[in-house]
Order: sequence, then structure tokens, then C-alpha cells
Amino acid sequence: MKTKGLSTFASLRAGVVALVASALVITPLAVAHAADAPTFGKACTTEGVSTGQKTTSLICQTGANGKLTWQRVRLGGSYAAPVGSLTPPKGTIEFHHWRGEDKVVLQGIIDKFQAKYPGTFINQVIMTSGDYGNLALTKISANPKAAVFVTMRGGQFGNFYKAGMLKDLTSQRYTKQNFIQSALTPGTVDGRIYGLPYQSLFNNPIYNAELFTKNGWKVPTTWSQTLAFCKTAKAAGYIPFAWPGATRGNAGQILNSFMMNSAPYATVLKNATDIDTGKADLTIDWFTNIAKQYKQMADAGCFPANATGYTDTVAPADFAAGKAAIYPTGTFGMSSVTKLNPDMKGKMKIMGLITTDAKPYYEGITNNTFILSVNAKASASDQRIANAFISFLATAPIAQEYAVGTSQHVSVIDVDYSANIDLLNTSDIMGKKLLLAPRFLFLNQGVVRDKLEDALIAIVGGADITKTLADTSKIIKQGLGA
Amino acid sequence: MALPAFAIYSFLYLYPSISNLWNSTKRWDGVLPPEFIGARNFTYLATNDDLFLKVVGNNFRFAFVVVILQTTFSLLFATFLLNNTKTTIFLRVVYFFPTILSSVSVGLIWLFLYNPNYGLINATAKSIGIMKEPGINWLGDGRYALYAIAITQVWFHTGQMVVIYVAGLQQIPAELYEAAEVDGASRWQQFKSITWPMALPTTAVVVAYTTIQSFRAFDLVYAMTQGGPNNASDVLVTLIYNTAFASYKFGYASAQSVLLVVTVLLITWLQRRTLRVNYGDR
Repeated sequence: MKTKGLSTFASLRAGVVALVASALVITPLAVAHAADAPTFGKACTTEGVSTGQKTTSLICQTGANGKLTWQRVRLGGSYAAPVGSLTPPKGTIEFHHWRGEDKVVLQGIIDKFQAKYPGTFINQVIMTSGDYGNLALTKISANPKAAVFVTMRGGQFGNFYKAGMLKDLTSQRYTKQNFIQSALTPGTVDGRIYGLPYQSLFNNPIYNAELFTKNGWKVPTTWSQTLAFCKTAKAAGYIPFAWPGATRGNAGQILNSFMMNSAPYATVLKNATDIDTGKADLTIDWFTNIAKQYKQMADAGCFPANATGYTDTVAPADFAAGKAAIYPTGTFGMSSVTKLNPDMKGKMKIMGLITTDAKPYYEGITNNTFILSVNAKASASDQRIANAFISFLATAPIAQEYAVGTSQHVSVIDVDYSANIDLLNTSDIMGKKLLLAPRFLFLNQGVVRDKLEDALIAIVGGADITKTLADTSKIIKQGLGA
Repeated sequence: MALPAFAIYSFLYLYPSISNLWNSTKRWDGVLPPEFIGARNFTYLATNDDLFLKVVGNNFRFAFVVVILQTTFSLLFATFLLNNTKTTIFLRVVYFFPTILSSVSVGLIWLFLYNPNYGLINATAKSIGIMKEPGINWLGDGRYALYAIAITQVWFHTGQMVVIYVAGLQQIPAELYEAAEVDGASRWQQFKSITWPMALPTTAVVVAYTTIQSFRAFDLVYAMTQGGPNNASDVLVTLIYNTAFASYKFGYASAQSVLLVVTVLLITWLQRRTLRVNYGDR
């Protein structure tokens, strides 16, 4: 998986195709041509192809001799095998998070933990994601019993770190041996690991493969094709992109795609940082061009009617009902689609939203979030329970239970996704060149990110680009100065 | 006897209020130690914050619409529900019913009603031919969002005010209406000359309560639009919430809330003055 960003998967030179993908692609190949089966040290032909996301997997890389050979995948901090869970002391702690939709699956996991370690109890405390983003730090910092909690990548993790709430987990064996190391950067500060991103999300549009086949559509791979597809799909009576413009959080997911190919990554990083710190306005060419592309999509009929009033409850419902071709949020949205319509199981696939006709810098977006941490202000005993619980979550069978039950890819080594057809069908994105969700480069959520995303939504709604960006820039600068 | 009450009041109200006032003089992100900056938050609010001014304007418009509609409807319904018959008592319960719902539920119900593509309001209007495709984008269009929420607020709280009005109107002596009828006064003349003047003290309570309620509005706005689109439906409390918890500017948010309190105090004072003008010092 090639990625770049605050976190990088650069240690893997090319894509690490998940075990699932290997089951679909590599294994049949190996069966059909046993002589060509990937073998450690033998020559291979396609750089970056791997046999899976396991400690025993092989990856095709340039070896010391300068030739492509099958080498062992090194996903962890070493080649050492993953470790089992730690034994906790007796006691009760709270686990704070925002994934209400994962409550049942997590409770099942907690029940197993409690059964394995009698006398130790974990209570889930769940808030909505919006409230969690806003209130978690205040609540958890006043509650040492909240010994294990999660944070969102970017500003929230940074604030917890600044507040001294995060225990250093660098030296834990499970940190080094159970997690895909390249996924850990969002939880890393100055080389020390304070949080373990549990989920590997892919914030790319999900499409209804059956609908595409039925209508003879091809998945667009360039900007021109995307706009043309919108016109075709709309003419056929479908909503091309079920974009939830009324709900800022999910409406903003496509901003990742717009940013990833807007310029070389260094330029994206610089521009985003400049806007985030008030050095640059939204009126700079880079952001204006992104805004213009939003407008182009709106003009091409890509978005639903009344897009700015289209909520993220209606969007998955339209997609699940087959009224919309594409649901442009991410893999995390698949479980709500299948809950709405179980028939959608196995029909969803993932695509990159490519906003250029030139060779793209990146093919898709990834994000490592749901960052697990131990409360540095909890008692030593509660910290040990928290540590043990994270180590339990980091074992492959448990992580697999979570992944399959919640339709989320995870950052834990040796997880097999084959029990969930939707995870299986979307795992091919792992083999592509991915960028760590750049939307989170705007660290000032309230003052900057929310405002600029609101401006883009307003532009889709028909607001004048120049005026909207100028007005929003003024509000952002004033907000930063307050 | 007063000491325990004063202690409880001090702990629950006085201390947080003074603490908030003190915080408004600081730059504080809620994480690192606060820094004392005197009145700088207030001067910045007054001179450099266009969003704050916009939101103050939003809140005044919101309060104006809610106060006018809620007072009018509640008085109107109360006059029809004055007599204690089985039907009127049942209707009072029906009108009061929304008040006991949770605000998030009310928000979700109205989100559905206002949905521009599938909602009941647009569907009905289109079916009877008074609205064209693609319909009105009630909550997604900055021109309508604030007023759409105001209507929801009116629906939510009118029943509460009906109860207050019914209690107030039932205090009006029946002899006055009997005398008016003997004199041949019409229903409108009875309303204008008896009901309205006699109901003014109740109206003052309803208006004051509704005004304060409108300036404290948060839950419906948050559930329905989160202040969007592009801050078009942001009101003071949602702005304060976002300043504190999304932007981590706790000192600045405290300054905003101090100004909110001052605004509500000023309006309440103005209303009391108006009441004195109308009633002498009765």
C-alpha cells in the first residue's frame, strides 16, 4: 500500500494486498500455475504485489541484487510473530468511544475479555461522534476511570497529547508486533507511540457494482470520465453521487479526493498548513480550483437535487435502494447500507475519485483512526487493565471479529477478512497508491476545516465562488485571531 | 433559613456565573494553562468578529419570529380552549404533547418533514400544485433554514404557552363578558376590549419566557442544521458551543456567553419597562 502523509505506509514499497485480495487474486493464480507460486527468494514480475497482510506473506520487491524477488512482508516493527494478550489485574474501567454502531460487537469482545479474566470489567461509554469530538477531552480529563479511550486523528489526538492524557505505548510488545507499523503514525509524536489507530478506513466512494453492470457503465478513472458518467447516470434516472451535503462531516469526505490530486503532496501540505495558520486565504489558486471542481460536479448533475439539504440518513438509503450509483463517503459507510438493505451485501465496490485528467498522484484515500490510548491520569492498576484490553483487541482473532462484525478494515496483523464479503470486495484498494486523508491537515477543525467545508457546500448550493471564498477567508482569519 | 438556599444558589448559579466572567478575561484552549488578557476578548468580539455579529442578527430574527408566532398562536388556541369541557381538556393535552417530547426527536421529525426530496411538506405542496420541482430546500438553503427552525420551535413550545394563557384567561371575571354581551358587543369587540387588556400580564410573561427561550435555543438548531448552511442558522448558543468545544477557545466562548447574558438582561429590562408603561406600576 503506497501512502504518504503525516502517516506513511512507505515502508512497504508498493501495495500490500490484503489477505482477502490474495484469496481472490493470488491464490487462484498459484493454484493454476503451481510452478509460479510465490516462493521466498524466487523471482517475481509485478512490483508491489503481495500475498496478503500476514506475517507469513510475501511481497514482490527489488532485492539486494537489484532484481524483483519475493520477500517477506514486514508489517510489524520486526519479523517477530504477534503476541497474545496481557493479563490484567482485577477491577473495573471505562472504555470511551464514539462508535455507537459498534456497541454490540465491542460488547461481545468485552464479554470474552471478562470471561477470560474474571474479576476484570470494562464498561463502554459511548457518545455520538459529534459530541465525542467536542466533549471527550473535557469529560475524560475529569474522569480517571476512563482508563482506555479512543481519539480521532489530527486535532483531537493532538489536544489529548498536549493535555498529558496519553500514556506512552512505544515499548509494548503488541505495539511492535501486532500492529501494522506504517498505520501508527497518526498516534505517534516525536517518535513515541501514544495511540494505536485500530481502524484502517478507506475514505473513497463506494459504488453499486450491480447497477454499473446492469447499465453498462465503466467506473470513471479520470475527471472527464467522472463528469461524463454523472450526465449519463442522471439521464438514466439515477443519482450519480449520493453526496450528503447537509451533513458536513460526511460531505467533507470527498474533499480528501479533491485534495489528493490537486498538486504534488508537498504543495498540498504547504497550502493546507498555510490556510490552517492564516498565512494564506481560501482565494489562492489551489483552493479556488478545488472549489471550481465542486461547482463543475454540481453543474454536471453529479449531486442529488437540493444537495445541500440532502442528509446522511437519506444518502445511504437512496444508495441502498438502488436509486444512487455511488455513495461518496468510505468503507465505514457500508455497514449502514447493508443494514438498510441486506441485499446490498456483496454488491458494493470501492473506487478512487480522480479529479484530474493527467496521471494522478494518488489513486485513493486511507485513514487510520479510532486511535486507542491508555489514560495517563488513570491509576496504575487501571492502566494495566487498559493496557491488557488493548492487547486483547490487538490479537488477530479479536481484531478479525471486530472487522467482520463492523465491516471495518483494521490495522492489526494477520486479520482475515474473508468472512465479510464487503470487506473482501473493497480490499483491492489496499493495493493502490493511497494518500492519508489530507482533509485532516486542517488541524483547526472549528475555525478552519468546518468553515471551508461549509463554503464548498455553499458553492454546490449555488453560492458565488469568489465571494464565498473571500467571505469565508475573512471569517477564518478573524477566528484564528480571536 | 435563607442560608441553605443561598448556599445552594451560590454553588449552582453564582459560582459558575462568576467563574464564567473570570474566564472571559483569559485566553484558554481548555488544555494548557489560561493566560489573563483583560478585556481583549470583548474588544475583539466588538471590533473583529463578523461571524459573531451575523449570529447576533440571526438570533434576533429567530427570536422575533418565534415570539410573534408563538404568542399569537398560543393566545388564539387558549381563547378557544378556555372552557373546561372534555373536548377542550383533550385538545389542551394534544397541544401540550410536543412539549414533552425530546428536542432531538422533534428535530428528527421535522428533518423528515422538511426533507426537500422526500419530505411531507414539499410532497404535499407539489401534489396540490403550489410548488415546482425541485421544491424548497428548507434547511439546506440559507434563506430559509433559520425560519424553518423557528417554525419548529413554535410548534414545539406553543402548547406550553397555551397552558399559561388558559390559566391567565380563566382569571378574567365572566361577568365582564356577560355585561359585554348584554351591551351587544361582538366576539371581536369582546376580545379587543376585555380579553386582550386583561391578558396583558400573562402576555408579558409569555413574551419574556419565549424571548429568553429563543436566545437560549440550542438543541433544535444543533439537531437540525448544526448552524448551517454556512452559519445561516447559527444562533448564539450554538456559536458559543462551537467556539468552546470545536475551536477550543474557552475564554473567548466565555466572553460570548457574557454578552449573551447582557443581551437577554437588556431585552428583559426593556420588556419590564414596556409593561410599566402599559400598566402604570400595578
